[in-house]
Amino acid sequence: MRLKKGSFLWYLYLDKIYCLLSVRNVKALAEYFHILDVHGKNTLNDVLFYHFLHHVTDLKKAQINIVFDMLDWNAVGEIGFEQFYMLVCMLLAHENHLEGQFMYRHSRPVFDLLDLKGDLRIGAKNFGMYRFLFNIHKQELKDLFHDFDVTGDNLLNYQEFKLYTIIYIDKLQRRQKTEEKEKEDRKRSLYSKRKCHMK
Amino acid sequence: MEEKPSKVSLKSSDRHDSDKESVHSDIRDLWTTTTLSQAQLNMPLSEVCEGFDAEGRSISKTRGWDSPGSRSLDEGDKASHKPEEIDEHALVELELHRGSSMEINPGEKDTASQIEAEKSSSMSSLNIAKHTPHRAYWAEQQSRLPLPLMELMENEALEILTKALRSYQLGIGRDHFLTKELQRYIEGLKKRRSKRLYVN
Repeated sequence: MRLKKGSFLWYLYLDKIYCLLSVRNVKALAEYFHILDVHGKNTLNDVLFYHFLHHVTDLKKAQINIVFDMLDWNAVGEIGFEQFYMLVCMLLAHENHLEGQFMYRHSRPVFDLLDLKGDLRIGAKNFGMYRFLFNIHKQELKDLFHDFDVTGDNLLNYQEFKLYTIIYIDKLQRRQKTEEKEKEDRKRSLYSKRKCHMK
Repeated sequence: MEEKPSKVSLKSSDRHDSDKESVHSDIRDLWTTTTLSQAQLNMPLSEVCEGFDAEGRSISKTRGWDSPGSRSLDEGDKASHKPEEIDEHALVELELHRGSSMEINPGEKDTASQIEAEKSSSMSSLNIAKHTPHRAYWAEQQSRLPLPLMELMENEALEILTKALRSYQLGIGRDHFLTKELQRYIEGLKKRRSKRLYVN
């Protein structure tokens, strides 16, 4: 899933730590939402939503429909600004490779979104439907349920999901530290080589 | 492949924030009271009307406050800030001034002193009129987004809505009120864009 280059959303950015938009960006987004709100109801219906997402991303029709169903948590057939904001944050997190950080910071709302049945559990099938939003591969999803389904019911409750996000972030941070260390070592070795060469 | 619109909910979930509406009416009042104060000075109509178009909306050269379709000017801006302090101060000044001018007229018997009082009141109203439109103008300026950003948003929205219009026409027909509303909205958006291009 990629954002269309040069589209309005492409120019927005998330804060890398909290994975939220700045006030200035929210204001711009609110104005954009308002322009798309053709019927003056502070909402987007399914048709407007489809054409918006189709225009700004490379998502397919089926994917757009399930995203709409996920966001329409009140089942009114329309998306309000709150849901729109949530969607934009998810799109930007994906675009900037901050999916793990986003899930860690906003584990509760993400869990509630994926909990389609409302039974405070996420099944593998439902999670699998939406893994394209969080850039989770099939095998990663299988490993996730294998490692974190502590209760053994093939469903993730919130604690298990939260644990997954914490460990994911921990792994990510360790990987980043290792990469930074390797970079520094390479720089030092290059510098020492040049020094020897000059002598 | 076009998306068939499902039955759009007609549930009138009024999510308009009453605070935001009062903000927009405050800005509008500021411009309206400015016009009234100017009218008291017997200014030529052309000078009073130069800031407004034929439909009575204030003309802005940087961003068109003209809302597309049937939307009113106030509903057009939902992201503006509240210039409450400016509103209240200007309105209080105007009211005080009007109050003082009304008190003078019934009590005065001497016509010369009456004329002088009127002159002083008109001078102070001139001062208020000088400052009030600027305050309203700057209050509006502070709440605006940069013009290139607005242009980008509107151009993109126009493309999206044009495609949505085709879906509406295929799905619910050309004569449906929602289709007509969308069509009017798109025309309004195109009008606004062309006005801006013409000004530039």
